[in-house]
Parts: sequence; structure tokens; C-alpha cells
Amino acid sequence: MDKKRVKQIFKSGIWDDNPVFRQVIGICSSLAVTNLLMSSLIMGLALTFVTAFSELTISIIRKFTPKHIRMVVQVLIISAFVIIVDIFLKAYYPEMSKALGPYVGLIITNCIIMGRCEAFAQSNPPISSFLDGIASGLGYTMVLLMIAFIRELMGFGSIFGIQLLGNWWTRWTIMVMPPSAFFIMGVIFWWARSKTEKKEEKKEGGKVTA
Amino acid sequence: MKDFKRKYILPILFTIIVTAVTTFLLAGINYLTTDAIALNEETTLRSTILYVFNIDYPSGDAKKIEEIFTQHVKSKEVGDKTIYYIEDRNEISAYAFPVDGVALWGSVHAYVAISSDYNEILGIDFVSQSETPGLGGRISEAWFKEQFRGLKLGDIQDGEYIVYRPAPGGNVDGISGATLTSNAIRELLNKGIYEFISEQRGL
Repeated sequence: MDKKRVKQIFKSGIWDDNPVFRQVIGICSSLAVTNLLMSSLIMGLALTFVTAFSELTISIIRKFTPKHIRMVVQVLIISAFVIIVDIFLKAYYPEMSKALGPYVGLIITNCIIMGRCEAFAQSNPPISSFLDGIASGLGYTMVLLMIAFIRELMGFGSIFGIQLLGNWWTRWTIMVMPPSAFFIMGVIFWWARSKTEKKEEKKEGGKVTA
Repeated sequence: MKDFKRKYILPILFTIIVTAVTTFLLAGINYLTTDAIALNEETTLRSTILYVFNIDYPSGDAKKIEEIFTQHVKSKEVGDKTIYYIEDRNEISAYAFPVDGVALWGSVHAYVAISSDYNEILGIDFVSQSETPGLGGRISEAWFKEQFRGLKLGDIQDGEYIVYRPAPGGNVDGISGATLTSNAIRELLNKGIYEFISEQRGL
């Protein structure tokens, strides 16, 4: 695989086709876990792991999979990887497992994974599928960290749990609560879309590139 | 016949194989990590018990925590609950017991330690709670829990052990902005302590 293709996959996953602000999928968990940077980072890494390995597995078996049951197979493989992440966190990172709570198990319902498996891994070779999973996961992680940065700084006065703002800072309670994620996400979408507005006009009709 | 095979037999076989492979994989991983997960859960519980008894322990060191725990703390089953106690010269000097209840957003599991003469709270800790982070969730912060250390239960009979300031007789500060959580915690602690003491006295 040539370098140009790799670059294109990453550019598409992280910016041009970013799952959160371009495709507007995976919103639920972006709202739920972003009040602390650490939780967001772990959530992003977990999703990247699951997406990459699910895409890899699905791409490897794509030629033998009977077409009409492919979704069943995808769900099965994705859930297996999600359970692996859940067990791993419980065994080696119990505090984080507790902090993320039910959201680890809910990674399976994150549309990004199934979306990428169906749109990309079904029709591409294993290595590019694996890279596509990593790229999409990083795109998702990036948006999560952007939201969490603002929320944690204003809500707790800290970054990654390190207290930066002193007692003079009045903590914004709203930033700790889920609604603030809506506002911040809206602003980030607005900013990101205004950056890519010209491109959008060019490809009228909203063609989705895989 | 060929159509039947393509439509039904192959997909079913394929699904069975994929299921079997993933299940074996997960079973294997589960088997390998069972001990680590059980140890983590036990360590968390032990840390909680040591914390409510106000015994120092090194956080994060599972072995050391186990050592200190087995050295100081003993347990017994009462009804369907496990009650922990510490002894001082072969006499029970304090009890720790679980208190469960419902707060604003969900159930709360806590442990409370009181002296064996039922006169003093030694400490409280929350094992699990799902209150709003930064608001009601602050019940898990040290400043809130530390307020309960050494709280006198005295001769209160009606179970109103904990009263938030500035109410008359107040002995603990609630969390501003989280009145519902604070009140729920007060109710469940008062109820839990009252029930435990009446049960013990009744025995």
C-alpha cells in the first residue's frame, strides 16, 4: 500500500469525514463521558481499539461471509471486542472501569464502529481497513478531547486532574452536567464546518465517501 | 437444492463457527483475568473498610492492604449482611456495616463504622453512587466524608443523628447546590445507623 493511500485514509478519518462533526455519529458517548479529560481519552482509545480490530477481522472474512447475514456477523465480532475492552479495564484499570461505568459496554452501540465496518471494511483489504479504524477512532477521540478540555477546565478548573485554576475560579456547574456538552459540541461543529464550507459546496448532493 | 444450501445451510454454519471462535476467545480471556478482577474488587472493599475504621493503608498496594486488613479486621455474618469489627484486647471496639439506600439519581452503597458503645461514628465511605459529578457526587470527596469522623451519637433516641448546619443541633455541612442528594444521604445514614443500633441492642 502506498503512502498516498495511508495519508488519504487518515485525513479522511480525522478531518474530511470526521465521524463526529462530519458524519454526526457517535454523539451519545461524546455527550456522556466528556466532563473529564482522562475518561474521554480512555473512551477514545477503547473505541479506536474496537473499531480498528473489528474492521480488520471483518475485512479478513469479508469474502467468505454470506452477504445477507453480514450484519449479524459484524455485531458478533464488535461485541466480542467490546467485551475484551470491558474485561481489560476491570482487571487492570478498575478506577477507570468504575468511572466510565455502563458506557464501556455501550461502545457496541456506537454507530461509528458499525458504520465504518459496513461502509469501509466490507469493500476494502484488511490493512487499509485496520488503518481506517484507527483514523476514525482518532477523529472521534480528538473531538472528545476538545469538548472535555473546555468542560474540565471550566467545570473543575483542572486539566487531566491537575488543578490549574486556583480558588479564585468559580466552577461552572453547568460544565459538569451533560447539557454543556451540547453547547460546546454545537460550537465545535460550527467551527469545523465553517472551515470546510467551500469543499461542501463543490460536492453538491452530499456524496458520502467511504 | 443448491439454492437451499446457499441460502440456509452455509449462513447457519458460518454463524456457528464465528460464534464458537469468539466465545472461546472471550472465555479464555475471562478465565485469565478472573483472579485479577476478584482481587481488585476485594481490594476496593478492604480499602473502604480500613478507611471507615480510620486505619491508615497504602493506596494501590493490594498485598499491603490485605496484610493490614487481615491483621486488624474480622468479620461475621448477621442475617444476610456481612458486618466487620475490630478488637481491642479481645473485646470488640468498633463495628462497620453496610448502609444502602436511594439518593437523587440512583442507589447508594455505603459503609459506616461506629464504636461498640454506639456513641461515636468513626467514619463513612461510599462504595458506589451515581450522583451528579461536581455536585452531589462530591459526597465521595474527602472533606465531606471526614466531617463524620468522631461525630457523637450521644443519647439521641429518634434516629436524627446527622443534622445539617445551620439547623439547630447541626453537626455536619451539606453540599450547597446539591440539597436533594445531601438530604437523601442524611436520611439513609440516619436510618441505617438507627437500624443497626436497634438490631444490635435487640440481640
